[in-house]
Amino acid sequence: MTATPPVTVPTTPPATDELIRLEGLEVHFPVRRALVDLLPGRRRGVVRAVDGIDLAIRRGEVLALVGESGSGKTTTGRVVVKLTAPTGGRVIFEGRDVTTLRDREALRDYRRRVQVIFQDPYETLNPKQSIGDFVAEPLDVNRLATSRSDRRERVLAALDAAGLRPAEDFARRYPHELSGGQRQRVVIAGALVMDPELVVADEPVSMLDVSIRTELLRLMLDLRAARGLTYLFITHDLALAWVLADRIAVMYLGRIMEIGPAERVIGDPHNPYTRALVSVSPTTTPPTPGERATRTILVGETPDAAHIPSGCRFHPRCPLAFERCRSDEPPLFDVGHGQQAACWLAEGGRALPVVAAASGDARDA
Amino acid sequence: MTTGAPAGSATSAGPATNSPGTAGERRPRTLPKQAVPGAPLLEVDDLRTYFALGSDTVRAVDGVSFRLDAGEALGIAGESGCGKTTTALSLVRLLPGNARIVGGAVRLYGIDLAAKSDTAIRRYRWREISIVFQGAMNALNPVTRVRDQVAEPIVERLGVGRRAANRRAGDLLELVGIPRARGSAYPHELSGGMRQRAMIAMALACDPAIVIGDEPTTALDVMVQAQILDLLERLRERLGLSLILITHDLSVIAETCDRVLIMYAGRVAEEGPVGEVFTRPRHPYTQKLLAAFPNIRADRRALDVIPGSPPDLRTPPPGCRFAPRCPAAMAVCSEVVPPDVRFADRVRVACHLYPEGSSGEPVPVAATP
Amino acid sequence: MTAADAAFGAPAPRGLAGSPIGLLVRLVRRPEGAFGALILAVFAVLAIAPELFVGPLQTAVTAPGTRLSPPSPEFPFGTDELRRDMLNLTVHGARVSMAIGLLATLVTVFIGAVVGIVAGFLGGRVDAILMRITDFFLVIPTFVLALILTPIIRDLVGSGSAQVLGIRMTLIVIVIVIGITSWSSTARIIRSQTLSLKERAFVDRARVIGAGGGHIMRRHILPNVINLIVANAVLVFAGAVLTETTLSFVGLGDPFQPSWGQLLEAARTVGAPGLGAWWYFVPPGVGIVLVVFAFTLVGGALDDLLNPKRRGRR
Repeated sequence: MTATPPVTVPTTPPATDELIRLEGLEVHFPVRRALVDLLPGRRRGVVRAVDGIDLAIRRGEVLALVGESGSGKTTTGRVVVKLTAPTGGRVIFEGRDVTTLRDREALRDYRRRVQVIFQDPYETLNPKQSIGDFVAEPLDVNRLATSRSDRRERVLAALDAAGLRPAEDFARRYPHELSGGQRQRVVIAGALVMDPELVVADEPVSMLDVSIRTELLRLMLDLRAARGLTYLFITHDLALAWVLADRIAVMYLGRIMEIGPAERVIGDPHNPYTRALVSVSPTTTPPTPGERATRTILVGETPDAAHIPSGCRFHPRCPLAFERCRSDEPPLFDVGHGQQAACWLAEGGRALPVVAAASGDARDA
Repeated sequence: MTTGAPAGSATSAGPATNSPGTAGERRPRTLPKQAVPGAPLLEVDDLRTYFALGSDTVRAVDGVSFRLDAGEALGIAGESGCGKTTTALSLVRLLPGNARIVGGAVRLYGIDLAAKSDTAIRRYRWREISIVFQGAMNALNPVTRVRDQVAEPIVERLGVGRRAANRRAGDLLELVGIPRARGSAYPHELSGGMRQRAMIAMALACDPAIVIGDEPTTALDVMVQAQILDLLERLRERLGLSLILITHDLSVIAETCDRVLIMYAGRVAEEGPVGEVFTRPRHPYTQKLLAAFPNIRADRRALDVIPGSPPDLRTPPPGCRFAPRCPAAMAVCSEVVPPDVRFADRVRVACHLYPEGSSGEPVPVAATP
Repeated sequence: MTAADAAFGAPAPRGLAGSPIGLLVRLVRRPEGAFGALILAVFAVLAIAPELFVGPLQTAVTAPGTRLSPPSPEFPFGTDELRRDMLNLTVHGARVSMAIGLLATLVTVFIGAVVGIVAGFLGGRVDAILMRITDFFLVIPTFVLALILTPIIRDLVGSGSAQVLGIRMTLIVIVIVIGITSWSSTARIIRSQTLSLKERAFVDRARVIGAGGGHIMRRHILPNVINLIVANAVLVFAGAVLTETTLSFVGLGDPFQPSWGQLLEAARTVGAPGLGAWWYFVPPGVGIVLVVFAFTLVGGALDDLLNPKRRGRR
């Protein structure tokens, strides 16, 4: 690696008050009904995308929600920004229940304070809308600008904060004139213009080139420091979570498997799923044969959310599963240092046993 | 339930081998008739592929050379637009209509494929060298059963009858980890990981010597990616396959490949054994690129930025193409194209910081503030 | 310009992106688009100011020629049974046919777009109800419905001497009728596009910032279906001209403002085919064919241009 000390981005210690809390959140979708379902005795299928999660995000922190496809992380994000309505549980924002907001003023206030950055910078921008109009749209829709010049100033300030300079120049352009990284900055500017408190970022850099990603990640961290933002950072990439997050929550099939400070979740996982994910996350340091042997490559793929296994939902693929795992779903157990893991092996705060590398060829069936 | 690495697996660090170490189930290869005895498996020599765009010419691949030996896994890394996919397509001659190989040679067993006509190349495509395209798992024919699609190249290229082809297709599916019975499924009935395995089976249909994977795991979950890479590794051992892995994801190359080729703006910046290049990178671009990668096992939040953006390949800058963005650029860099220089540890660099005869010690470049 | 961009031609094919003007520019770059546009331009010019070319519409009183005389140097298209110059009638007929076509298209496209966008965007019960209504109009043969509706609308609207765009009320009735009977396929097409637009990230983003349905439909859906509407309108125009022609041919037209269809009807009444007076029905007939053909060419070219799978072939 380079000899000069790498540039470290300043971290802000997370504040202790809670900004938003999800309690027992559930999002169940009914499976499309077929005529066959009308037969007696046939239970209608339900896709349990989010199946009971408790999550609190503290003001000023970056919480990474990590999971593979089908984990429910994107749906959780959508619930937080009110694109999807939960079918169970509550959302508490600053102490107030905002699960269903009927009052228009209250809803508008919530939306002002909770914004989103989506994954695809090519899709988030309407090709027919100028950059300036895109960034101003939240102000227009909510009638927040006091005058034309106020509107203009706020748009330019947001573009500038997102690193698009000269802002006046960018405001006039259209999406197709910008690169992927620039477009994502526009999206960020659009999220900033109402001065939100919580930003939900759903895979914000996964469609960008490696060298552009770093710029955007740095920008997000700088904004957090400058504006006291809180992030819910949704990603499938554990390494990104490692770089960015104060705390990491690992989701699987709609539930949180493990949550805690990033160093602990990655350095000392207490849930076998987390441990397997960490072990197979590739790095740019070529692994030694010893390291290769400790990779836990799970067999098969995540089952679909309409057929969630009984007991602990991970048990069919878990290398450490035993009798109890098949029948009872474990709650999140506290394992110290602010870390919790949903695993019967973690009950009482115990560590996971070390698994010997499989000898010979255990080919996946 | 789970698989660790099989005992005695090939490691990705360490020197490249001329012949694979493990015996396994390799079939002895019959070389094509025109093969030159003693020639290396694949040798690309100063390849140039240009695109015609209106009145402009995009010099997408502008002097790329490398060598692949039997049983090796070579990773070609770079960001989007660096020419890695174009290089791969040039090897199998499946370039878009406005692209042409304008110079250089692609020698398979000493046979120059670049000089062959479009019909002559068919003898080699898929039978000696095949490719799994980027996003291929979404390009399966939705109305044809998977096994039939895998059998198709067997029927077309090898002239085998349908029954025998289907049987072999079933064998291939098993080989890549899809139960034979699932072969009668349609693509939409399979998960992303399984479809990618099916694509690999298709690429193996005619028993090629080289398989090129263009971003084979990009759209897949981490665990599925691990499964697919593990599969490729086992196929490599078992079949004596040689792999060329094209990806922007350096960590995938670090996990899987013996050697790596770092491309930038149509040229090779650095090339060498993975263990060397990734732990002691020389070329400034390699250094910056590695430093821009989040690494779970390394220091947190230590990410570097590469300022600027890749050059327009219609009018590439004179001299070294990375010079405009290079923190260590000198005057000569924007005038003279840096020559390839080989060093003792079998690393090749094209950078004026490492001229012929220098020690080859990596010169660290500054991180971007 | 990266290798990836170069492979697909630059700039990337715009499909539905780009302004309608840009679309028309790209249109005339294609040979069939240019040819069709040329024909339409010629007829448009004739339609806008027919007096400039052939003088005012001749009536029985001002008719200069002899009855049903064949084409001659003085009357290149011959004369009709009222001794009027056929060239004069044909050119004025262009104006009537095209004006009715244009107005009918505007009505059709407006209703179709509104129904399509609202049904597609709101979904659920609104969509179901609107689509059943649309299906009703889609299924009933346009012409039959038009025949039934025309006398009814005529009674409603009256046949006074008011004029729209220089078209008398009797023909406005036809405009309304064509509008009512033709909007459903436009609605279906627009709805289909709306359904896919609705799922796109920029609509999600608009929701997250608090935009209501009306705002999203106006600012996000509509601008992205405009190109589709334009392409559809071209074909609707052709259909409207044909429908008007047919309606006039069966006697629902206005002899005082003869459209081409009306001229054909007059030719039939006089018995021109039997008399061998081909010059009576050939010019209007050819006019209709040319205009509809030109619209079809243009519509087809637009369709090609809007196909997002199209590679950058210019």
